[in-house]
Amino acid sequence: MAELTLDGVTKVFTEDDGNEITAVDEVSVDIEDGEFLVLVGPSGCGKSTTLRMIAGLETITSGEIRLAGQRINEKPPAERDIAMVFQSYALYPHMTVRENMSFGLEESTDMAEAEIDETVEDTAELMEIEELLDRKPSELSGGQQQRVALGRAIVRAPEAFLMDEPLSNLDAKLRATMRTELQRIQNDLDVTTVYVTHDQTEAMTMGDRIAILDDGILQQVGTPLECYHTPNNRFVAGFIGDPSMNFFEMAVDDDTLVIDRFEYPLKPAQQEAVAGRSHVDFGIRPEDIRIKDPGGLSDNYQFEVTVDVVEPRGDENTIHLTFDRSVDDPVTFTATVSGLRDVSAGDEVIATFPPDSIHLFDTDTGVAVHNRTFDSEDATKQVL
Amino acid sequence: MSTETGWVGERSLFGHSLRRIILYAVLVGMGAFYLIPIETGIMTSIINPASYTGSFPYLPPLEPLVPNTGEFSLEPWQGAIDGLGQGLVNSVILVVPATILSGLLGSMAAFGLTTIDWRGQIGIYILFVAGIFIPYQAVLVPLTQFWYNVVPLQAAFQPLAALPFVESYHWKLVALIVTHTAYGLPICTLLFRAHYKKLSDEMVEAAQLDGASVATIYRRIILPLSIPMFAVVFIYQFTQIWNDLLFALTIIQFGDAAVVTQDLVGIGVSQSGTNFPLRMAAALLAALPTLLVYVFFGDKFAKGVAA
Repeated sequence: MAELTLDGVTKVFTEDDGNEITAVDEVSVDIEDGEFLVLVGPSGCGKSTTLRMIAGLETITSGEIRLAGQRINEKPPAERDIAMVFQSYALYPHMTVRENMSFGLEESTDMAEAEIDETVEDTAELMEIEELLDRKPSELSGGQQQRVALGRAIVRAPEAFLMDEPLSNLDAKLRATMRTELQRIQNDLDVTTVYVTHDQTEAMTMGDRIAILDDGILQQVGTPLECYHTPNNRFVAGFIGDPSMNFFEMAVDDDTLVIDRFEYPLKPAQQEAVAGRSHVDFGIRPEDIRIKDPGGLSDNYQFEVTVDVVEPRGDENTIHLTFDRSVDDPVTFTATVSGLRDVSAGDEVIATFPPDSIHLFDTDTGVAVHNRTFDSEDATKQVL
Repeated sequence: MSTETGWVGERSLFGHSLRRIILYAVLVGMGAFYLIPIETGIMTSIINPASYTGSFPYLPPLEPLVPNTGEFSLEPWQGAIDGLGQGLVNSVILVVPATILSGLLGSMAAFGLTTIDWRGQIGIYILFVAGIFIPYQAVLVPLTQFWYNVVPLQAAFQPLAALPFVESYHWKLVALIVTHTAYGLPICTLLFRAHYKKLSDEMVEAAQLDGASVATIYRRIILPLSIPMFAVVFIYQFTQIWNDLLFALTIIQFGDAAVVTQDLVGIGVSQSGTNFPLRMAAALLAALPTLLVYVFFGDKFAKGVAA
């Protein structure tokens, strides 16, 4: 158990024709002892490459990785005292579950056979796979193989766990169960964990902190709520959250933002943030948009819109709204409303964009120039 | 409605049965076509050579009960065992180590060229592939030169001849074992490589993270997963080396070290004519080991080919 530090870690792949591709670009993260960090990003963003560099399966082009303060760049995987859970589970097909789990202990420790047996059985009990110990992987279901793969990593009591999309081969129901269980186990064992996923729900629900990667570049590291409410840039804002944040590219006209369909008045602080820019990206999360029945606009933050499509989810409905249904290229956006609210396609409603819930991003760089009002202390208190 | 269906059913049943009859007739015909030469060989091999001339070779020897079928005798088999005994022993001494060596080395080479990543492995692999295309004829003279003039194997082998069961002429078999191993290595490597490419990279990486060295990964992970492929390679190499005559003629040439294929050439041939029953018995005897290998490893072979 130790802290893990990535310091300016870069990976450049050289293709056969001499082209250089930077898969991971100067990524720096400090992962505290016992912390659960989720590395999240779209496919091809370099998150798996980062994980493989920590494991030692990929060389590091530049930068340094330290485990418990020790540089591990040059250490072969076998000497890093790190266990990894693979997406495909990567169990040894010719060995029983017991042999799979004891393999690492036999190869990396001097433990006596009896001691290994005991450790394996204790871990099997923790993972609730005692009855499976004498079976081969081919005789197990996907969920059981997943447990064995986790058990094989846990049994070695490593300094750090690496997990490469370990739940992505499970069905939705089992994935939700395993998500909770993984968190419980990680909490009990208190082992530093780096967890790679492309699924932002997993990232939000599991991580102590999440690190968002795009195109090899680290976009933001923070607690899930920080990343959700105060994104560093447009990419993070759009990636975290489902359904995604709504974006409108708008022209700045002094104290107002203008787009063909609507105008939006800015508060003084927001005006200051956009000063000197001709355009900004206006963002608002679907759940922050308030919907009410038509009956006159009471302030400048309200707009008359039409319901285009309704996607019922039970607890809440996602509704797609448009300012003008009749034009060829309508401006549409999504809002979530209570599942009990009765709305159907074609309804005329009034949408409110509350001024303290909006985000503003630089159109060219995507950097956030203004985020919604958010106090992490308050948010934490509410959660507790 | 029901009668109509029944009638259609009956007709199709009749159609089916007619098709079946034709199918079975063709199958039986093809079976007979393949089996008659072997049957003839077996029947010929149990005829007394003295009564062979003028008999029908494919009929069982039932004289004097049935005329013109020859008289039953195990004399040809006795003669074949006497005549080929030494060659069979030499062939076993040759084939077993050569097969195991080429399989094992091929598997190790494929592991090093496929599962482990290192610079320049493609270049080495291309050399292996090129090895498959070296024609036998091109290496015959160099081989003789190599084993008789370049490498002093004969002299170096002499001290070993003092050991029990080792004869001084066995040096030629050692030379042949090395030659066959080297010549079989490329194709064995190719077969194992195809198999190893299908093994999961993540599994090998998991073993690396578990603390296993390259040698341990081979011994504890790759080797046990190669068993079906070993069956394929063993059957292939065993048959190849057992049936080889060209290298044997080149390297062993003649003498006590002659293998079974060399002995088979001359058996039953003399000034007074050809002893067909003896030649048939000898041919069957020489083919028996390859047949046994197929029988014993056949199921694993099928698994390996399907894998």
